Amino acid sequence: MTKIQEYFHTDWSAMTGNDWLGLLLTVIVFVLMVIVYFWVLNPNNKDSLEAHRTMLMDDENNAENEDGRK
Amino acid sequence: MQAEQQQYSFEIVKWFAYMAVVYLVVGTGIGVWIASELAWPDLNFDNPYISFGRLRPLHTNTVIFAFGGSTLMATAYYIVQRTSGVRLWSDKLAWFTFWGWNLVIIGFAITLPLGMTQSKEYAEMEWPLDILLAVVWLAYSFNFIMTLSIRKVSHIYVANWFFLAMMIMVTYLHVVNSLAIPVSMWKSYSIFAGVQDAMIQWWWGHNAVGFFLTAGFLGIMYYFVPKQANRPVYSYRLSVIHFWALTFGYVWLGAHHLQYTALPDWTGSLGAAISLAMIIPSWGGAINGMFTLSGAWDKLRTDYILRFLIVSLAFYAMSTFEGPVMASKTVNALSHYTDWTIGHVHAGALGWVAMVSIGAIYHMVERLWGTTIYSVRLVNLHFWMATIGTAVYITAMWVSGIMQGLMWRAYDDYGNLAYTFVESVAQMHPYYAMRAAGGLIFFLGACVMLFNVTVTIRKAIANPSEKMAVAANI
Repeated sequence: MTKIQEYFHTDWSAMTGNDWLGLLLTVIVFVLMVIVYFWVLNPNNKDSLEAHRTMLMDDENNAENEDGRK
Repeated sequence: MQAEQQQYSFEIVKWFAYMAVVYLVVGTGIGVWIASELAWPDLNFDNPYISFGRLRPLHTNTVIFAFGGSTLMATAYYIVQRTSGVRLWSDKLAWFTFWGWNLVIIGFAITLPLGMTQSKEYAEMEWPLDILLAVVWLAYSFNFIMTLSIRKVSHIYVANWFFLAMMIMVTYLHVVNSLAIPVSMWKSYSIFAGVQDAMIQWWWGHNAVGFFLTAGFLGIMYYFVPKQANRPVYSYRLSVIHFWALTFGYVWLGAHHLQYTALPDWTGSLGAAISLAMIIPSWGGAINGMFTLSGAWDKLRTDYILRFLIVSLAFYAMSTFEGPVMASKTVNALSHYTDWTIGHVHAGALGWVAMVSIGAIYHMVERLWGTTIYSVRLVNLHFWMATIGTAVYITAMWVSGIMQGLMWRAYDDYGNLAYTFVESVAQMHPYYAMRAAGGLIFFLGACVMLFNVTVTIRKAIANPSEKMAVAANI
């Protein structure tokens, strides 16, 4: 067994219920994060996301010039 | 007309904002005192109530919960109303959070110097105060969420996402970490023991930094930097990535506080690896804030409030690089248990959290009271005192900490320790004095802010302008 193999060696038979739950949650969170990255960085979604950039500027105009009313 | 004038409830924001400034002075004042106690131990006066061990948690709780908490409540209530186009869902609930939060502060200000503590870092309060804090926090979160639910705009601005993440995670972290069995009114024992207790403690400890002192203040950054610069945020996509990466990633970091302990080795490795990965979203966020000024960097020459906000981002970038480096096992072997950690914490606390808060509060004071700040020169003076004070403080702790680490690990030819512990303590003295001086400069800057803000408010109330009348009613 190489040093790397030894480092990553896992005794699967020793895994408890908590270990499996933790592993499952870790994998789910990782997958969700990858999905979010793809979604955000997809060029097709750029315009819809970046449209919110000016929201605060609009908010300032609305709030301070029109008593905050839309 | 009356209905239009009741658009926003800003009275609660005013009170939280002003109290945040008061608590900044109190919290940093206690910090200077205990820093002086470390440099000149005679200042303990053999009095247990003012000894370092009892005042240190009072300092951390005051700056985190009193100053930081008041700032977060002021800004969250301000931002959610502005970005939703509606007033708070419940004024009564908001006032409950104000008085409840201050009751928690009074509670720990009395009990901690008396030695009533759970001995959990950043969670020293005993169980009655823990329960009160949880109730007030839930009321604050509920009011925020309900205000979002009645908003008049379809999109929820990203700053609110950061506040929501903070509210949800801090509730979860605080409740689990504070689980204890009371044995009397002011004494309880944690339900966790041994290494589990250590893991839960630092799961809370680092996520208190990650969600209370980072996520919430990033919400502040994403609102006040574009507003003060009067420019849209550089990239909304980057802010979305920043949010999700921080939310998914931060919860795994806690174990890096427990390298080389009884914790399984892989947990420390996981903590270190995710810490290093977190540099990417953290720097993405810092760059996003700074690049908001693209094409308008000249504003930094004249806008001192903007200077606070942008310099805070520089410190945010610096401390979010330094932290992962310290989390790696190689560096941690030198840095752990030394003053380097204290320097790192204060680079984040003074440079990032306090400076972004100060910028936000100056911004809000002008708008809430419909006036301009009493003295721009005093804001400038405050900026330089805060920056220089922070730089002196963290430089002293870096030198002191690295020297400590090197002295503790030095061996002679026979394998004996080259220095006794007390020799390393003696070597620290000049740096402890320097740290107290840096803290004093920062504290005096906070006093300048309190004076400037107080005079601004008093003058605005004494001579109400038309602008103030509008600001008071919207």
